[in-house]
Amino acid sequence: MPAWLNRHAPFWLSILAGAGLWEIVGRNTSAAFMVPLSETLVRLWELAKSGQLGVQFLDSAALFITGFMIALAVGMPAGLLLARVRAIRVGLEPYIMTLYATPMVALIPFILSLMGFGFAPKVLVVFLFAVFPILYNTVEGARSIKPELIEVARSFRSGEWALWREVMLPYTLPFTMTGVRQAIGRGLVGMVAAEFFLSSTGLGQLIMTASQNFDTGAVLAIILVIGLIGVALMRLGQHIENRFARWRA
Amino acid sequence: MSYPAIRAPASVRLAQRANRPADRIAGTAIPRLLAGLVVILVWELIVRGFAPAYVAKPSGVIAAIPKVIVDPGFLSATAITLAAVAEGLVIAVMFGTVIGLTIGRSIVADRVLRHYINGFYAVPMIVVLPLLSLWFGYTGAARLATIVFAAIFAIIINVADGARSVPREYLEVARSFRSGRARMLVEIVLPAAIPYFLAGLRLASGRALIGAVVAEFFTAIGGLGYYILYNSRTYHHNEAFVGVLLLAAFGVGFELAVNAATRRFLPWYRRDEKAE
Repeated sequence: MPAWLNRHAPFWLSILAGAGLWEIVGRNTSAAFMVPLSETLVRLWELAKSGQLGVQFLDSAALFITGFMIALAVGMPAGLLLARVRAIRVGLEPYIMTLYATPMVALIPFILSLMGFGFAPKVLVVFLFAVFPILYNTVEGARSIKPELIEVARSFRSGEWALWREVMLPYTLPFTMTGVRQAIGRGLVGMVAAEFFLSSTGLGQLIMTASQNFDTGAVLAIILVIGLIGVALMRLGQHIENRFARWRA
Repeated sequence: MSYPAIRAPASVRLAQRANRPADRIAGTAIPRLLAGLVVILVWELIVRGFAPAYVAKPSGVIAAIPKVIVDPGFLSATAITLAAVAEGLVIAVMFGTVIGLTIGRSIVADRVLRHYINGFYAVPMIVVLPLLSLWFGYTGAARLATIVFAAIFAIIINVADGARSVPREYLEVARSFRSGRARMLVEIVLPAAIPYFLAGLRLASGRALIGAVVAEFFTAIGGLGYYILYNSRTYHHNEAFVGVLLLAAFGVGFELAVNAATRRFLPWYRRDEKAE
């Protein structure tokens, strides 16, 4: 048996077994409950062909990317600033930790009644879900910078800007990337939550309408799509994290 | 005879200073208190200046606390949600530990199941809600299923990691004393996996809490999440925010409890969080 077959065979066999199980369970239960894989794929193809899937996917992607980018643009500099100015960091640390552990979904009803429907409140939800892991991990990283490093830089008459660029940023980036990986996962939850509970758009809307019509096939098809997106993004996050982890001493 | 004073480097001076109790309080408690006051003040002023009267503000929330915490509706909502989270966590822990140990110790199980576990873990849990509400109806069972789905994969992944990390020598020693497979699993692998299990439990409890709230939003069944939803819809934002504070307290409480348990019972163990 060639090496690649040995390596990949178990994966494909288990995928096949899972697909077979889904098909069998689907055929032997009522259609409102579970739909076989084959029918799910047919529904998926129909949704894709009608253009609905593509449109809604782009809608969701725009929401996710906007919220995530703002979270990154705010979380990283804020984390570094907190790291540099000790008094602010010590002061705000417990609050950041609290917000990191708070289920942000609980804020959605407030956002709804304050900002109503539209794109901005949904971006805010994704932002809130994603920003705290980035902030928390950046602060955590910056806190672990050895004071000696900064002292050495100082004794070489390093300016503030050089200090940030040459010491703070390279040192904390791997930690930030751990936060980025977590933020990807949380941001995705935030995206779907925003689409469910605020104005219904994107893949969230597609799944809601399908479940209201008891269209189990479409529900499963979109769960499959979002699941695969989740897996792909998680892989991406892991990849980014590993890439930067090599810097870690 | 006296030596000229040599100033210690800043890092050492800082470390020394941080160790004196009086300075420790002055160094952390005061900035924390100040920062908290500033946040509260800014929030209060912004709401008073720009937002409609029903929006939650610190003074309103504080005024609402005594009323809310004796409100039987609030108490029963809290009890319902906490009971559901606890029940879901127990189920997730039971099945998650068994599955995790199996995956960690059996190459076949690992190869067959790994992709599914990692895959389900990466699925945003909220997305299965419509399906679960089709299956279980708009009932507490749908919430319980959501909690279990949210929690179980974090436990499986971490327990499997722990079971995999058992030093080979321990198992070899056990085997040379003719220990049975089951006994080895219970007496060696399980204890070795406990720190990993605790890390998984910390993640799982946070996710379970989110799962419960989301399920209550979605299915509108009674509980703390629904309490928040209902009160914010009826413009009782201050009351609703007390619910959010309680959720935050639970979130932090779980985190601190697991960390404290790790430090207390497994003082040798330090580990970064594996996955989220």
